[in-house]
Amino acid sequence: MSMKKILVVDDGITMRLFYREVLEGAGFEVEEAANGVEGLERALLGGFDLMVVDINMPKMDGYEMVRQVRGDPALRAIPVVTVSTEEKDEDVLKAYTAGANFYLTKPVIPGDLIETVRLLTGVATQ
Amino acid sequence: MALINAGNRSKTRKTDTTPSPQPTKTLETLLEELDSDDVGLRRRAARDLADFPEAVPALCLRVATETALSVRTVLFTALIRMRSPSVVAGLVPYLRSEDAGLRNAVIEALQDMPEEVAPVMDELLADPDNDARIFAVNILSALPHANAPHWLVQVIDTDPHVNVCAAAVDCLAEVGDIAAVPHLENLSRRFADHPFMQFAVTTAIRRINGE
Repeated sequence: MSMKKILVVDDGITMRLFYREVLEGAGFEVEEAANGVEGLERALLGGFDLMVVDINMPKMDGYEMVRQVRGDPALRAIPVVTVSTEEKDEDVLKAYTAGANFYLTKPVIPGDLIETVRLLTGVATQ
Repeated sequence: MALINAGNRSKTRKTDTTPSPQPTKTLETLLEELDSDDVGLRRRAARDLADFPEAVPALCLRVATETALSVRTVLFTALIRMRSPSVVAGLVPYLRSEDAGLRNAVIEALQDMPEEVAPVMDELLADPDNDARIFAVNILSALPHANAPHWLVQVIDTDPHVNVCAAAVDCLAEVGDIAAVPHLENLSRRFADHPFMQFAVTTAIRRINGE
């Protein structure tokens, strides 16, 4: 079975490196983008099984990126996990309303991220 | 507008320096045009109001309601040109805005006025709201000010919230020097049960050491 390919979109370089280490360690292939605009461009190149998208980013924030993903016939079926420092109910609701499949709160716990990505990509949990 | 001193309303500016003479507009006219339905008129008014320091409160209010991206961009360009403590005071409240686009634009604008932002930095970093402190740290990420690394070290030494400290660590990896390393090591001990913080501190120290 080929490796599932994950796009991580976050303006923090340390965060992107963290996602890469955690997800590659769990057997996923990872590509990175530093904001929503770059993330959409990467996504449109195709081949992604899931996106991990930060909410607070310059140029295009996570909410807008998810809305654009859901509005694009080529991308709308891809599961999206949004990640944010904001944990208020209205923030979570806003992400789901935009089209997110799951919402994680920072600081991300590696096990939670791996299990969520496995669940949404159909990879059997261990 | 109540905020505008009536004595300043007669001030005018030349809107162009090209050979053909351009009409001059008063502050009052430009403020009216800033509320026009015509996007082009609003954009030109925002540009021309940069010559009127008295227009700062109106320009700062307008950034929150302006719907045209091109006008909003010109509003921020004007405010950056006008940089002053009153511009900073007018923009800082938007760090709490739910509009991420506005918030990001404010952060970028404040990064362009380091000398004016510096006097309020301690206050921003002491905000009771965690997210507001993260946005203050985001300002520091690209603030060309000699004290920026010191503020970041202050955050990792004292801030109680893991995400605020994580944001500061990310910035220190970019702008910190070897003096920050003992503070990063202390932070790692303070948040010993957070895997991301352990990773972030290790990464930051490696980057500071040029690895």
